[in-house]
Amino acid sequence: MTDIVDEIRGAYASVGITLDHPATYGTYYRLLCTGCSRIVGNVGDKLLPGMAATLVDQQFDLYAAGLVGCACGHQQERTRALDPERWAAARRRYASAGGAA
Amino acid sequence: MSETRAREMQVIDDAEARGRTELWPFWRRVYAEGDPLPQLTCTVSRPTYRFDENEPLPEEYKALLLRMLRHEGERAGNKSFLGLMASCLDLAETIFPTAEAKLLKAEYLAEELKHGIMFHRLAVGLDRSFALRDVPYAHYAFHLPRETWADDAMFHFFVDLNGAFHSRDWRESSYVPLQKMAATVERDELGHSEMGYYFLRQICAEAKGHLVAQHLLAKWYPAALDMFGRSDSPNVPKFIQWGLKSVGNAEIRTAYKRYVDRKIAALGLDVPDERQNRRFL
Repeated sequence: MTDIVDEIRGAYASVGITLDHPATYGTYYRLLCTGCSRIVGNVGDKLLPGMAATLVDQQFDLYAAGLVGCACGHQQERTRALDPERWAAARRRYASAGGAA
Repeated sequence: MSETRAREMQVIDDAEARGRTELWPFWRRVYAEGDPLPQLTCTVSRPTYRFDENEPLPEEYKALLLRMLRHEGERAGNKSFLGLMASCLDLAETIFPTAEAKLLKAEYLAEELKHGIMFHRLAVGLDRSFALRDVPYAHYAFHLPRETWADDAMFHFFVDLNGAFHSRDWRESSYVPLQKMAATVERDELGHSEMGYYFLRQICAEAKGHLVAQHLLAKWYPAALDMFGRSDSPNVPKFIQWGLKSVGNAEIRTAYKRYVDRKIAALGLDVPDERQNRRFL
């Protein structure tokens, strides 16, 4: 387990996404919804230091508004718990695009 | 080419022809309208080299060529390449928007695996010990998270296009086996980029998709520009002198940027600041 993989795991855990075991021959990992275990994407283990946390944070608003993340809504719940004010602002901002209830 | 080899190639050509649809391969319509890629012309004075398979190679030349091929990565014996293809399959199976998109991704995978065979043959002719070497993609662009179909579309639009630009440069390569396959690889990679762009056009046609795509550009655009490496890379002059590259990293990046900026604007998206979030200037 490398430091970068630990970084990725930690960054995604904060928004309710679990880093799965390495897929096929390693290097690439599935991203699973922590709420329902569905695959929500994948990621490789050669991100640069600090990059995973930045990328996840950059997507906070998209998770909050339900534009990215699992259809079960788990990432919306997690981002709401993380930062209710930012969550509400993101949903207001993206409401016209049909992203938030 | 031997008669046996010619027959084998014909089988591949036939298989590809059977896969043709109105959309696939995406390169067909683009090239029918003229050469889509810019000329990459060497402007420095250099010797003319030409090395073919089974010819002895100067030590530095071979080391640079192998370094280049390690970065390229599309080789049947490279487990990490197969792993990357598997990650594409995962996405095609789980987050595909339409049955058409899923089938297009299957055609894409088939074509990339064809490249895997082509580069395998090249590797065997160059250095047999290289043929089965696992070389994980080193650049972070190959490892960025893909969590939406828009992410995947951007991966193809930007990353496969990088491959097309490098293949364009290989058309003038001093290594004959690479020069011979360059036009095919360039054409295919351009087609893969066009596939991503086709998906992006569909995504951006809806307000929600447009928002997501604009947001994700902040992730993919700097990575795409970073893929060409540092502008002051000390090895580039050696690559150019040996005829393995025609232009430096800054020149090819500029040509690429001009190409993608026009296409991003045509989607109605704002082109990000070229210095924002960059790691390799």
